[in-house]
Amino acid sequence: MTIYSIIFYLLSVLILVTTALAITRRNMVHAVVYLIFSFFGSAMLFYLFGAPFLAVLEVIIYAGAIMVLFLFIVMMLKVDTGGERLFPLSQWLPAAVCGVLYLVLGIGIVVSDPNSHDALKTARAEPGAFGQYIFQNHWLSIEIISLLLLVAVIGALLLARRSKRPSAQEIPEGE
Amino acid sequence: MQPIEAAGMLSCWEPGIFSLTIYGILILAFIVSQLFIAYWLGEKRKNPEKLRPYESGIIPTGTARLRYPVPFYLVAIFFLIFDVEAAFIFSWAIAYKALGWSGWLQISFFIIVLILGLVYIWNKGGLEWGPTAKEE
Repeated sequence: MTIYSIIFYLLSVLILVTTALAITRRNMVHAVVYLIFSFFGSAMLFYLFGAPFLAVLEVIIYAGAIMVLFLFIVMMLKVDTGGERLFPLSQWLPAAVCGVLYLVLGIGIVVSDPNSHDALKTARAEPGAFGQYIFQNHWLSIEIISLLLLVAVIGALLLARRSKRPSAQEIPEGE
Repeated sequence: MQPIEAAGMLSCWEPGIFSLTIYGILILAFIVSQLFIAYWLGEKRKNPEKLRPYESGIIPTGTARLRYPVPFYLVAIFFLIFDVEAAFIFSWAIAYKALGWSGWLQISFFIIVLILGLVYIWNKGGLEWGPTAKEE
């Protein structure tokens, strides 16, 4: 048991506990905050596995931007969080069935695979090497992603405009 | 990506882990010390005026649990999209020397498309706020 194994198990416990807290909170804002801690734990796990750039991206994109988006969704939708159940009871049953199915399948895969007891080879992905790799081998995909994000920007603007229009009828059709 | 031949360890980032841990502990100690000093030295005489939520000097009215207007959400979406674009720019920036001029051209095209998106939402008033947004 090296220091890395200890760190690994500590991080795993942190991630599991914060995620469990996140999905059981009644207050949605608290759930989002716990999810941020979970993402920080995942980022540290990536760092431990030798992927520091991925860890940084996890913090920047998941813990930063996506959680801001979640927070705004919570604040836009949930006006008052009373003590009511989040989902009706009829939705719990399919969710529970799916969860048990995943658990059984996961355990089955781990048990049936003969290689599941071998330790994985550790690998190092230097940030510079990563950047070089994706820009030399996948630069076309990156340009396509830029176009995709352009479409996403325009789409978000148009959707917000459309949802605003019925509330303000005096505005003439200005494209 | 090169495999590491070392038994019994998960990662090859020993010095990084060490300095990151020290840094994290120092930051935590700093935050705790600041909070403690503020709590210790601060005046603790309470009255209703002091305990009222501070809202830029204006006396707060109504409930705090209101629906946020859509423009806030729009800004959050734009932030997310430009954040993802920044991730690609970071991955170029950490290898810009090795990538050379071809990498520069690729990221230039990427940034130009990004700026086109920004110009578009600026022109269409996606970033307009408050009274100026209503004139449109």
